[in-house]
Amino acid sequence: MTPDPLEALRLPIMPVEPRPEFAASLLRRLRGERAPVSGRGATVRYFVADLDAAVAFYCDGLGFDEELRPSPSFAMLYHGDLRLLLSVPGRAHALPDGTIPDSGGWNRIVVQVPDLGAAVEALRARGVRFRHEIVTAVGVRQALLEDPSGNLVELFEPLAGYHERAPQAGKE
Amino acid sequence: MGIEQEGPGGETPLAALYHRALPQVYGYLLPRCGSAVLAEDLTAETFMAAVAAAKQDRPPELTVAWLVGVARHKLVDHWRRTDRERRRLGAIVSGVEPVDDPWEAQLDVAAAHAALSRVSAHQRTVLTLRYLDGLPVAEVARELGRSLHATETLLVRARAALRRVYEEGEGNDA
Repeated sequence: MTPDPLEALRLPIMPVEPRPEFAASLLRRLRGERAPVSGRGATVRYFVADLDAAVAFYCDGLGFDEELRPSPSFAMLYHGDLRLLLSVPGRAHALPDGTIPDSGGWNRIVVQVPDLGAAVEALRARGVRFRHEIVTAVGVRQALLEDPSGNLVELFEPLAGYHERAPQAGKE
Repeated sequence: MGIEQEGPGGETPLAALYHRALPQVYGYLLPRCGSAVLAEDLTAETFMAAVAAAKQDRPPELTVAWLVGVARHKLVDHWRRTDRERRRLGAIVSGVEPVDDPWEAQLDVAAAHAALSRVSAHQRTVLTLRYLDGLPVAEVARELGRSLHATETLLVRARAALRRVYEEGEGNDA
């Protein structure tokens, strides 16, 4: 029997170092399986249709900081203690019946600003959509705007009579 | 042995294995995938599977060889999905008639490896396992979950398909 010429295709494993960023992030994932919860503040996830537009809206428009953007479908932003996760909905978020989450709805993150009038003016100049103009409620003035995917953000400015829990001893 | 238990160096066994195994697993996948993005995805899936396996009641012994075996499964699964999607789109060209002429004795190995990306994922799978990985046909059959006979038939067809695209490619280059 003649030798099989395709035996020449044998490809022994030659070790290849992957990108260091990939190696480091995978190791974090492997360790993160049982990592303790370390976040101090709350985390909210918004689904967005366009990640670039959403990051620009929150960072340039509302003063959030970009912490991570490891892929074209995910970003992690911070605003003080609030961690905002932005995800472009995809297969990974699908329910067992195939339903894929969508943007929008009525729940919203609530962000304090020092001067609501100035903030609204600046955002309007950027072309931001408002679902509700400035209204005065108990202890606050507030406005309701939409991010480019239609998720709500409530801005507020404290007025006389405003209340929130005072910082507790031992916690920053 | 699990990721929870710390080894003598203060590192978990999987973490200790990680630095040694990562270039091997990635080095196995990269030339077979032909895409760094895909190789990274499958590498991550492989190591996440190791984390899950380490949590079982009777965990396997985590070695480089075991991880490479998992990487091979992941690659086979990936190509299975690729073929299923392409079949749904009606894009698979099959029906290459097997020929019995001997191949030229001296293959241009680089060209033949490149030709692998131009046969169907199904054919690429069986050729990769049999020739690039050097598995015996019985083991290829086990990896594919097919009978020995079906695997042999598949191999004959896959070789014919590879030969056709190989020879087309050669004509273009020369």
